[in-house]
Amino acid sequence: MTDYDVRVDGEPVPPAAGWQLDWDDPARGVARLRNGARTIPVVVEGGGTDWHIVIHGRRVAASVRTWRERLLAEAATAAQVDAGPITVSATLPGLVVAVAVGVGDEVEEGAPLLTIEAMKMQNEVRAPRPGRVIEVSVAVGVTVATGASLLRLE
Amino acid sequence: MSLRTDTVPPFGRLLVANRGEIAIRVIRACRELGISPIAVHSDADADALHARMADRSERIGPPPAGESYLSIDAVIEAAHRTGAEAIHPGYGFLSENATFARAVEAAGLAFIGPPPAVLEALGNKLAARRSAADAGVPIVPGTTVALEEDLAAVDALGFPVLLKAAAGGGGRGMRRVDRAGDLAAALAAARREATAAFGDGTIYVERMVSPARHVEVQLLGDRHGGLAVLGERDCSVQRRHQKLVEESPSPAVDEPTRQALFDSARRVAGTVEFHNAATVEFLLDADGNHYFLEMNTRLQVEHGVTELVTGIDLVAWQIRVAAGERLTSSVLAPTLRGHAIEVRLYAEDPYDGFRPTAGRIGAFLMPAGPGVRVDTGTEPDSDLRSEYDPLLAKLMVHADDRPAAVARLRRALDETLIGGLQTDAGFLRWLVDDEAFASGAYDTGLVADRWRGGPPLGEDAALVALAAQAGRGVSVPVATSAAGTRAESAWGRRARQDGLRR
Repeated sequence: MTDYDVRVDGEPVPPAAGWQLDWDDPARGVARLRNGARTIPVVVEGGGTDWHIVIHGRRVAASVRTWRERLLAEAATAAQVDAGPITVSATLPGLVVAVAVGVGDEVEEGAPLLTIEAMKMQNEVRAPRPGRVIEVSVAVGVTVATGASLLRLE
Repeated sequence: MSLRTDTVPPFGRLLVANRGEIAIRVIRACRELGISPIAVHSDADADALHARMADRSERIGPPPAGESYLSIDAVIEAAHRTGAEAIHPGYGFLSENATFARAVEAAGLAFIGPPPAVLEALGNKLAARRSAADAGVPIVPGTTVALEEDLAAVDALGFPVLLKAAAGGGGRGMRRVDRAGDLAAALAAARREATAAFGDGTIYVERMVSPARHVEVQLLGDRHGGLAVLGERDCSVQRRHQKLVEESPSPAVDEPTRQALFDSARRVAGTVEFHNAATVEFLLDADGNHYFLEMNTRLQVEHGVTELVTGIDLVAWQIRVAAGERLTSSVLAPTLRGHAIEVRLYAEDPYDGFRPTAGRIGAFLMPAGPGVRVDTGTEPDSDLRSEYDPLLAKLMVHADDRPAAVARLRRALDETLIGGLQTDAGFLRWLVDDEAFASGAYDTGLVADRWRGGPPLGEDAALVALAAQAGRGVSVPVATSAAGTRAESAWGRRARQDGLRR
């Protein structure tokens, strides 16, 4: 196990020493961390390299990679930079209540693109990187599902 | 069949015009009263727990609430089809809709709630503010008429101010304004939001009371003039003007203040022909002065806190007074016992401004044991319905005093495990150890002033790393894997893991 690169929220973190994990309900990832003095219930979800751990009520992303997987992941990230147009998708299902940009607009990173109302809240969708809007796929009043394409940036 | 042999059930069948945990709460009250509960469901909820628990469930439309749970015709038709004699609206949806209450009564059915005229009179928050002031109840300084383009009245109040929707509630159409220069833009935004949410863009303004606590008084009235004041609830832990935690009694209320609050609540109820259940909300400033905010003419989400300290079943009494029963002397003069706290488990990310989260719930383990009550409609391995309220569960505790209740809450939260998506459980677990909350000396600024974005992971980071590594070691599947393979692989994995350990 020592040859794994373990990261928590993107930062390398050495796993706690002296603790072990016992499963209560492996199908749902329900387990307990124990060190002989304390017991902490957790949820362990994921597979392969990507994991989510719920501890003290908080759900935290973690990755567990062999060094080979680490190098491959870094190479893939590097290749993605400046790789042409990107699609901005809905992260939540909801109703489009405002569209702030049109085709041809130049936007900066973080600029508001449109507003989706979901669960009584208005959620602003912002530009993930600078670029020019080349397509707007939705209009005010349209209901979108999670993952639906909203617009494209180049 | 009725389990009660001492009384005749107030109704034969009752239709519950709601979903989720509150529909289940009403179904439970029906069962105990010997009433046959009828549920309604949208297509999204055909297999939902509330629909399965009822004696019968009627489809009322497609998933969007506007076409199902908010459809007056569909709900009343369902009641007629099933022979229901009464309709309980729960909270939200149609619960404070006077048009609905009138339609229910016109259809020859009993509406479980205050009379339509009361819903109407108090539904307009601006009109209610005027009536309360006329009845001698202190109101938050501000306007008692709609805010028009002339904004001089606002400047006279002094900033910051709060813009509020006359038709509002639940924080929608509400905007804090810190500077005169921001007022026009904020007013336009508040109008837009209020028009979209309520079809009425009327806005009024209140001076910001800060620091403040949000304290509310529970009322229960019968049709014969009996009015019970069932203690107060402190709802000062809020985000976006929406409640996250409620407790009773309020740690900020001494006996003279309590009697003043109760007197004001009675006065507000006295402005209308009130019966059934309602809550009068107040702000309390640092000097113990209280100001009327609004009266909610329905069952509140947090009603369970009051049930725990009074021992009174509010939902059962709503049904009984609607059938014409009188409140008993034990309800009219309740004995308050101990301290109760409720926390709301929401599908929200407290580390990202309490934004709603989406996904599929995997593990869903709720606490139990002495003094613990959980009201929920959520089940493990279920999709979160983004069309509806993101409330996953209400966790309530009751103990002899506040420190014991806080200790019990800490224990209960440590037993709580929700997988699949981020929830506010991490915030709530932090809260029970927060100095201000633990001492009781907190106000509505707690989330903004003390939580901020949440504390760093600290020593939990190394435990997360260990758990993730152990997870990879035994290759736990994702919570969303197909149900068929899950049970099989669970046993296989357990065997493999046991083998590894030996």
